[in-house]
Amino acid sequence: MPVTDKDMREELAAAEPARFWRSLEERARTPAFRRMLDAEFPEIAERYATATDRRTALKLLGASLLMAGMGTAKAAEGIAPYVEQPENLVPGEPQFYASTLNERGYGMGVIVEAHEGRPTKIEGNPNHPASLGGTDPIMQAAAFSLYEPTRSRTVLKGNEVATWGAFQAEVAELRERALLQGGAGIGVVIGPNTSLTLQRLFSQLQQAMPALRFYLSDPLAGTPRPYAVLPHFDEAKIVVSLGADFLGEGPGRLAAARGFADSRRVRAGGQRTMSRLYCLESIASLTGAKADSHLLVRPSAMDETVARLATAMQSGTGDDAFTTALVRDARAAGNGLLFIAGERESAFVHATAQRLNQPSAGITHTLIAPVATAPADSGSLYDLVTDIGVGAITSLFVLDCDLMHSAPADLDVGAALEHVSSLYHHGLHVDETARKADWHVPATHDLESWGDLRAFDGTASIVQPLIAPLYQGRTIAELAAALTGDFVSSSLDLTRATWAQLDDAGWREALKRGVIADTAAPAITAPPLAEIANPVQEAAQIDVVLTPDPFLDGGTHAANLFLTELPRPLTKLVWGNAAELAPATAQTLGVATGDLIEIGIDKQVLALPAFISPGQAPDTVVVPLGFGRWTGEDSDTVGTNAFPLRRRGNAWLLAGARVKKGQGSGRIITTQEHHAMEGRDIVRDVPLAAIADEGPSAQEPPSLYPPYEMPEEAWGMSIDLTACIGCNACVAACQAENNSPVVGPDEMAVGHDMHWLRVDRYYAGDPEAPETVFQPVPCMQCEDAPCEVVCPVNATVHTHDGLNAQVYNRCVGTRYCSQNCPYKVRRFNFFQYQDFDEGSPLSLLMNPNVSVRERGVMEKCTYCVQRISAARIQSEISDQPIADGAVQTACQQACPTRAITFGNIKDKQSAVAREKTEPHSYALLEELGTRPRTTYLARVTNRPDEDKGNG
Amino acid sequence: MAEAMRSDGIDPAVLAGNESNRAIAAEIAAIPLAPKLPRRFWWGFAAFFTIGLLFLGCVSYLLAAGIGTIGLNVPAAWGFLIVNTVWWIGIGHAGTLISAVLLLMRQNWRNSINRFAEAMTLMAVALAGTFPILHLGRPQYFYWLLPLPVTHMPWPNWRSPLVWDFFAIATYIIVSLLFWFMGLVPDLAILRDRAKSRGKQRIYGFFALGWRGSAYHWHRYRIAYYLLAALATPLVVSVHSVISLDFTSAIIPGYHSTIFPPYFVAGALYSGFAMVITIAVPLRHFFGLEDFITLKHLDNAGKVMLASGAVVAYGYLCESFFAWYSGDQFERYMMWNRMFGDYAWTFWFMLACNVGTLQLLWFKRARTSPWLLFALAFIINTGMWVERYVIVVTSLTRDFLPSSWQNVLPTWVDFGILFGSLGLFFAMMFLFVRLLPLMTIFEVQELKHELKEAQ
Repeated sequence: MPVTDKDMREELAAAEPARFWRSLEERARTPAFRRMLDAEFPEIAERYATATDRRTALKLLGASLLMAGMGTAKAAEGIAPYVEQPENLVPGEPQFYASTLNERGYGMGVIVEAHEGRPTKIEGNPNHPASLGGTDPIMQAAAFSLYEPTRSRTVLKGNEVATWGAFQAEVAELRERALLQGGAGIGVVIGPNTSLTLQRLFSQLQQAMPALRFYLSDPLAGTPRPYAVLPHFDEAKIVVSLGADFLGEGPGRLAAARGFADSRRVRAGGQRTMSRLYCLESIASLTGAKADSHLLVRPSAMDETVARLATAMQSGTGDDAFTTALVRDARAAGNGLLFIAGERESAFVHATAQRLNQPSAGITHTLIAPVATAPADSGSLYDLVTDIGVGAITSLFVLDCDLMHSAPADLDVGAALEHVSSLYHHGLHVDETARKADWHVPATHDLESWGDLRAFDGTASIVQPLIAPLYQGRTIAELAAALTGDFVSSSLDLTRATWAQLDDAGWREALKRGVIADTAAPAITAPPLAEIANPVQEAAQIDVVLTPDPFLDGGTHAANLFLTELPRPLTKLVWGNAAELAPATAQTLGVATGDLIEIGIDKQVLALPAFISPGQAPDTVVVPLGFGRWTGEDSDTVGTNAFPLRRRGNAWLLAGARVKKGQGSGRIITTQEHHAMEGRDIVRDVPLAAIADEGPSAQEPPSLYPPYEMPEEAWGMSIDLTACIGCNACVAACQAENNSPVVGPDEMAVGHDMHWLRVDRYYAGDPEAPETVFQPVPCMQCEDAPCEVVCPVNATVHTHDGLNAQVYNRCVGTRYCSQNCPYKVRRFNFFQYQDFDEGSPLSLLMNPNVSVRERGVMEKCTYCVQRISAARIQSEISDQPIADGAVQTACQQACPTRAITFGNIKDKQSAVAREKTEPHSYALLEELGTRPRTTYLARVTNRPDEDKGNG
Repeated sequence: MAEAMRSDGIDPAVLAGNESNRAIAAEIAAIPLAPKLPRRFWWGFAAFFTIGLLFLGCVSYLLAAGIGTIGLNVPAAWGFLIVNTVWWIGIGHAGTLISAVLLLMRQNWRNSINRFAEAMTLMAVALAGTFPILHLGRPQYFYWLLPLPVTHMPWPNWRSPLVWDFFAIATYIIVSLLFWFMGLVPDLAILRDRAKSRGKQRIYGFFALGWRGSAYHWHRYRIAYYLLAALATPLVVSVHSVISLDFTSAIIPGYHSTIFPPYFVAGALYSGFAMVITIAVPLRHFFGLEDFITLKHLDNAGKVMLASGAVVAYGYLCESFFAWYSGDQFERYMMWNRMFGDYAWTFWFMLACNVGTLQLLWFKRARTSPWLLFALAFIINTGMWVERYVIVVTSLTRDFLPSSWQNVLPTWVDFGILFGSLGLFFAMMFLFVRLLPLMTIFEVQELKHELKEAQ
């Protein structure tokens, strides 16, 4: 804290003489010194007295002497590793811990890889029901958000840096005042959270202060209902989605994706049947893309269509091809039927689904009581604003939600928050709500926190920290505990107290396994069916419907640039949102991709670029939520916030919205510009009935080069296009494992994307109701690789185990290899994309086993060669061959549907070798003679018009 | 051209006027030896040099900021710089053809234009040689393409056409430089002898390597010069053939074609002669050299362009035909995309320049009107540049998997380097004209002599 001479002299002259002083700044008592003290030594700052007497000075001297000999770290809180506790941490060897990540309040079980104490990579926890070993992109991005540089780092009082101690003092004072009135005047806003610890603390709080009020801020809430459906896809012969994207959304989506894919894993020598999926939807979704038959219905016509479908199910005759086939199949399937209603569909659709489901209850699905996400009598945001308006709330705690971002337009949250006399905000970022607050407390990241969460089926698991909080973060539980008057318990103590029924061994077991045994919610019998009249929805000329962005959710992950840059599964859009609409709708409105569309409700007008997205329902404009959130001074706001289009009762389908073409154009960045296969043999289909019993006749294309000798393993991969749901978890996992950079919107716009693995998405058939297919494309590791021949400096070479290796240090950057790659899977460092000279915390994210590439070198998928090497080292130590399945590539491990198989193709018994003998196995562009090691299993279709019965 | 090649005798039209040896030497040597050249010469130089500075600036920026500053992406990872390389190398070819091939064929009409054509070659190839290096992601390691016995670097991959390419260009630069310098030696001696100032005498004298014009000197000179010419002759065919292999050995539709080597060589001569005309017409005009660079020369150059241009047109036809005839869906789509895709205008522009404009050269009047020829040459050179753009860039934007298709646009750095290189080229030509005899004095004297004898 430098002080200029002139200032200093003036200050010194004015200062009253102190006897002891340690620096001129202190002597002058400049505010700068005070700030420095607050920032650097918050503990001292509280006790810093301007006048120090002799006794205190001596005490401090003695204490300093004593403290010089003491460690400064807090007592370590023991956390248990997943598999085995190493005696000592072995440098260079990663450790794995089970933990739980919070997604919209529900737990997703993970195993976190840590290198020397730094969490670097997230894997799914096979023991956890919501993961089953798979992950989704949001989970993969969790390590990124931990080190994300714009996180809030200190407690703030107004705009000034404060301390947790000062905040505690403030809370203690507030509490003493409030206790006298039973907590009247205090409000707590929370997001959805299934934590039992929080529920325990909140109920304690309610007991102590009965007048305290809870409010739930859940901008993505669906239709409330008294049960949750757990589907059993293995028993379902016919699955019908009524606007439900069960593969892409919801806390149970990974389990659903696994179950669904397993029910369709057709093999010549194994399972020969598959379920059939009918999908009725208004918003193009992953589920719709996997449907064997699908019908696009505009959102305002959904209820009516479902009603007609229900009638047809009774009468046995449908009036369109979709319904006719569905009714026929449903008759044949008996009680193998499963209807799933979309989270945000009306109560009528849910009731209808339940009614149609009843014959198969207990077979294709079970019902459980919904997992509680908030205290029972929580108010809504509307209640909050009303309460503030009448002066019922004077002190407000906003815990981990950004009210300013997600507020609907008819709710002036900003003005309401101004009226609150003291506003306390807790969150990962100093966002707009934090800026309005009197106090801001940084939140801890899931990987820094102790806690517990429940999965979609009620199973509880512990949130176990991998690292001490990087900044001065606190958990919600600690804040809640402070309100209850407990200022000393750490979040570990609080969590442990919730699970007091577990003894130490049980606790350790829960930490190791990542789930707490026997905590799943019991099945309930179906609640009595309420007859809900079919509501008549007014049809506007164009329906405008909101939908959460698949990666940013409702803005929770807005600061996570890893997710911002990950291509959206269907649109392949990055860095922003758009008004998505079908080609015919675009024609009606007279817009092309990139033209601005103006969406107006009342006086509110939102302009955002149009994006033609085949597969959206006719006359419908879909706008993703979660963009346009401001997350602090150093962050960029990406995309357009669509929450202001909302009105009370108009959360998703926006009644009364006006849509027209606007002036000018907006920026659309997409990683795939062409959507048709142009008649090329890229993604192959094979009807279920046409699967042969025999494998493909081994026809190697001729080559002038001699075959490679394969002295050891020959690594290969097989990707099942039937199982692939296009979720992009593999892409995220690849990026997280291989230190691939986030390059930014300008770079993405010119085609400098750095994802080693991409999921190609093609449309086929009628653009107004297309079939959507996905194809993950990693490096094919060609045996006769075109890239290897042309590299002048031998920077890309064939390894003894058949990998097409890239030697970064040799690369001079001619880019000839990329030119000659027919699959275009090579990525080039056009700039220095990762430069850690500025001390960004993101440097801690790096996987130490993968080089960070410098400017000017080519890079590509290596089948995660670092994992292969690790397995080979193990095999050499133990003198055992590498077992099948011992090496998992990052994409394979992340895949929720196990679409990717990897292993040694020389071993004919290996899983991958067996996959490659399937009759529907094929190589991409095999006519080029590249002999790829990565092959595909053709997409097995089960369209209603393809066969006589359903499998 | 055919006519000129056939006649063994010398066409008097290649040297107008009736000047003595001394007068010829005086006239040609006057330019480098003049104490001062007219101001407009320096204005011309300054203009081109300023544009040349653009090259310097853009290249510095490129090296500092990274290769991402020019218009490249995946799939189209090669761009303007590769187009420039191919184009500049092509331009160089005319010089080698004139100086080596026509020398061996005793086409004496070449004598008055070979010097500046060789200088043009040298400068064009020097420029062309910089682009592939600038185009590297890590240009500081370009020498890793050399087979140096150093343990810290890998041995080059001899299967890679880029290695062949590297050697082809390096050989071309070395041979062109030697050949050019060899031809200069007797003239440098003339300049040394005619120079008035001590400084010029010393400098020209140093480079004249002690040439005294003795019979021995001439004898050995002849042997060496013809040997070098014989060495340089295959380069006319081989260098651009090797460069075309960069493309033909790749499997990308639009690259993978067997017609490329002859088609590239013809294209090289076509654009090279266009550049010769672009330089010769203003030279003869501004320095009053109409007696040395006669209409006959322009006519001959026009005929070479006509012949090579016809081969190029045949190449276009062949490419299109075989794309269809191959039955390969990727090849067919590539050609369709060239003609009607996003970059279709470049294809039609190329045809209009290279095939359309060419037709005027059938007429002698067009071939012998210097400024019309100059305009045609300019258009054809533009067209030839665009041809390389069509091949290099548009093929890449639409390859096998439609998911990777993406267009690419050049940036200001691309344009800066392209136009800057032109500026630098012409600025260097100005310096050449200022410092060295732009025609081979002794060969023109020889020509004069032979003409006299023939009479």
